[in-house]
Amino acid sequence: MCFMGRWSEERVTGAAPDAPSLAAARKLARPGPWSETGSNDVLVWGKCQGSGKSPYQVSVDIAAPAYRCSCPSRKFPCKHALALLLLWSRGEMADGGSVTADFAEEWAAQRADRAAAREHRQSAQQTDPAAQAKRLADRLTLMDAGIADFARWLTDLVRTGLASAHNQPYSWWDGVAGRLVDAQLPGLAEQVRAMGSDVHARADWADHLLLRTGRWWAMTKAWNKRDELTPAEFADLRVAVGWAMASAEVQSSEAFPGPWLVLGAHRSDDGRLQQQRTWLRGPDGTVVLVLDFAAQGEALATPQLAGALLDVTVARYPGSEPQRAMFTGSLSPRGLVDSLGEGCSIAEALDMESAAVALSPWRDRHPVLLAGVRVCPAGPGWLRDGSGDSLPLVGASLDSLLALTGSHPVHMFGELEEGRVRPLSVVVHGAVVTP
Amino acid sequence: MTWLADLRSSALVGTGRHPAPAPAPELDFRPRDGLSREELLLDQAALADVVTRAARRPSVADTATFPDPAPPDDAPQASAEAVRLLDLLLSQPPVGPELRTQLVADWLQFAAASGQRVPHRLLPGLLALADAKPAVAEHLHPAIGTRGRWLQGVRQHGSGPAGPQVPAPQGSGGGTAATVDWAELRTADATAELERLRRSDPGAARDRLHAHWNTLSAKERAAHLAAFAINLGPADEDLLENALDDKAKTVRDVAADLLDRLPGSARADRMAARLKPLLRVKGILRKQFEIDLPPDPDSTALRDGLAPVPRSGEPDRLGRLDTIIRAAPLDVWTEAANRSKAATLAMLDGEPRVIDTIVSTAALRADAEWVRALLDMRTDARLLGCLPAAEQEDALLRHIRSGTAQPLVLVPLLRGLPRPWGVSLAAAVLELLAGKNGGQLATMLTGFLPMALPPDTADQCRRLLQRSDDDAPRRRVFRDVVQYQSFRQSLTEAFQ
Repeated sequence: MCFMGRWSEERVTGAAPDAPSLAAARKLARPGPWSETGSNDVLVWGKCQGSGKSPYQVSVDIAAPAYRCSCPSRKFPCKHALALLLLWSRGEMADGGSVTADFAEEWAAQRADRAAAREHRQSAQQTDPAAQAKRLADRLTLMDAGIADFARWLTDLVRTGLASAHNQPYSWWDGVAGRLVDAQLPGLAEQVRAMGSDVHARADWADHLLLRTGRWWAMTKAWNKRDELTPAEFADLRVAVGWAMASAEVQSSEAFPGPWLVLGAHRSDDGRLQQQRTWLRGPDGTVVLVLDFAAQGEALATPQLAGALLDVTVARYPGSEPQRAMFTGSLSPRGLVDSLGEGCSIAEALDMESAAVALSPWRDRHPVLLAGVRVCPAGPGWLRDGSGDSLPLVGASLDSLLALTGSHPVHMFGELEEGRVRPLSVVVHGAVVTP
Repeated sequence: MTWLADLRSSALVGTGRHPAPAPAPELDFRPRDGLSREELLLDQAALADVVTRAARRPSVADTATFPDPAPPDDAPQASAEAVRLLDLLLSQPPVGPELRTQLVADWLQFAAASGQRVPHRLLPGLLALADAKPAVAEHLHPAIGTRGRWLQGVRQHGSGPAGPQVPAPQGSGGGTAATVDWAELRTADATAELERLRRSDPGAARDRLHAHWNTLSAKERAAHLAAFAINLGPADEDLLENALDDKAKTVRDVAADLLDRLPGSARADRMAARLKPLLRVKGILRKQFEIDLPPDPDSTALRDGLAPVPRSGEPDRLGRLDTIIRAAPLDVWTEAANRSKAATLAMLDGEPRVIDTIVSTAALRADAEWVRALLDMRTDARLLGCLPAAEQEDALLRHIRSGTAQPLVLVPLLRGLPRPWGVSLAAAVLELLAGKNGGQLATMLTGFLPMALPPDTADQCRRLLQRSDDDAPRRRVFRDVVQYQSFRQSLTEAFQ
């Protein structure tokens, strides 16, 4: 999915887990501490003299990308890998020739073995339709039982009252979530866990829990009627309960050519999982969402710059619009746009949300491009459009928004979430910038 | 009660005790027959979820809470390279925190000098740094431009908990201290306000305190009177002289301390009259002062601030002498000796305590002639602080060269000097650093040496850094100097 050849320094910078790692790497990015460095089409390697006796062995697979270093750092990639990449990207690395260092060779071989084993497992699975059908039937039985159990739990919940649920410790919610995970319903489990903390964190917990209980109830009903749903409706339900679609299946589906415009992106980290959401718009106006995940300490995919036009094809997951998508094939930036296009008013955005809820009641995050909105710094921050309508902001760096816009009307792309807007990009002076 | 509120109460207490309400008729929702209480409530909760989300309406903004849009910037944005350097300093500083603060302040000054401004996107990071570092805050203007000034205003006034539905309280900022009645302020605020007035108009401050004097508590009189240390002058003498009769000892002490700084006052004359009889000159070839101790104070001496005879134990006669010396004009000494200041001081060779008192008196009064004479025999931070800037540096250089002063005593003096230093002082200090035991001095100079050395010394520091040296603090201070000077060089080029 990425281009071969030498990385730019920006790309290396983008791979850094945090600023201190990058700062440390910059200090190491000089030839002094390095020995036995070299590179080929896929690997960059070298030894870095640290404070210890034996130097750290660093290998980077630039195609995957993947990183490996013998240092004990828990940062990933560590400063040594970043420093090596910096040296290499600047062309300042002494290239020891085409002979790959033993430690790099060994690592690459291990990785290749593991990948081959994984592929083998997958192909074995695919080649046996009878076994595949049985696995699917088993899974559905398990999920049906889980849904029935969850419906009973919801009934108990409203019989004893939400107030008594409010007094339960987190472990109570976690226990329910655990049963959902066992029933292969991790998406539901995640929502229940989140509720376990929301009931204590939110002032409007009673309304939130009541409405969410209603939504969960509707999901159990929809699950039991899944044969009557359209493919898109069923796909949305699958996402909501957490039944993932194999990416290989999506990869092989129809590819949509670009150029795709990056409307905005958001990174979040809940302590266990990092998520990156990238909103794209295609030439025909279709909006899709690319999701990337990484475990704690692992590197997320390189972020795409808001306002960039990408020459890439994407494949879409089934579901209602805006669909989740993945990049297929190589990606190359074509340039930057000076505008995101026409936006809508706040009233129109809410109408759109209304329509989206009717289409897919499980989704609570909607992309929105607002036209001519001003930023007001009171409270959590507010947006106001030309007709005087306002919406509160969420997760915004107000100082940054105010500095960039000067409270002048601007076009803003963001996510509409529970009646609030999370700003992801704004257009000022003919440039798309990230607040 | 609305349907939603009914639904919420049922759900909170549980359908075991409270059945679900009937759906709101306007929703046109008819539940199926034969549902249990729980199912009836859950169905309606599911409906409420969708209805709430599909029926969201925008809030209506109260335009009063929106700031006026920022006026256009008239200054051009700094060059791409200058912006890159500021971004680096703010997000990934390649130098330590002290150097970073200084370099950001330098950046702002360079920008101001070349009429350029900070790009909008870096303003939040810069203002956040300025909140923590006064050295950055004082150079923000004019480099942050119109947008920066506007953002500062918005940050100060627009951060209340109000939103569009709740209009911000009008005029919640509160008037400045000058517009409210001074007598109504709390003591600390009133003192601060009086200090402000002393700076701009000492006479008006005196009139204000005089007018309120009789209504103030002893604590207030003492605190407010102490503010007269700012811009103290002969015109303040009457008020201070009267304060010597105050009921409260704290007020009398403040008045006496302030009168010590007025050698032309009547109290200084009275003290001179007490000092003169105590001084006798003896010796023929090598003249010396013989100093008697003062007698027990009479009532006028007590009024002037001399310590009374204690009920038990011996009186502190040396302390009495100190009080008299501090309050009397220093010229009493030269008149008694009938010699120059330097020669007079030479006659006090065996009296270190007296010299100390004279040093503090000269420094307190900032009496330049006496300070110069005293500096010829002493190295003292208080004295150097009284000299004009140009003279200070020369005096300090003389004291370093003479080698009489302990290097560590110099640190506060060096810290206080205007920067950058002259070339010869810089060379003298570097020589001390490079010498034996320079490491300890280096540690103490770490915070300000890079900023104090003139740019032409960077090469010398680079050479010193390359010299093999096991002394880590010394290496660090030289490294800091080199880093600072080379970053500053980049700034100079970026702003050309």
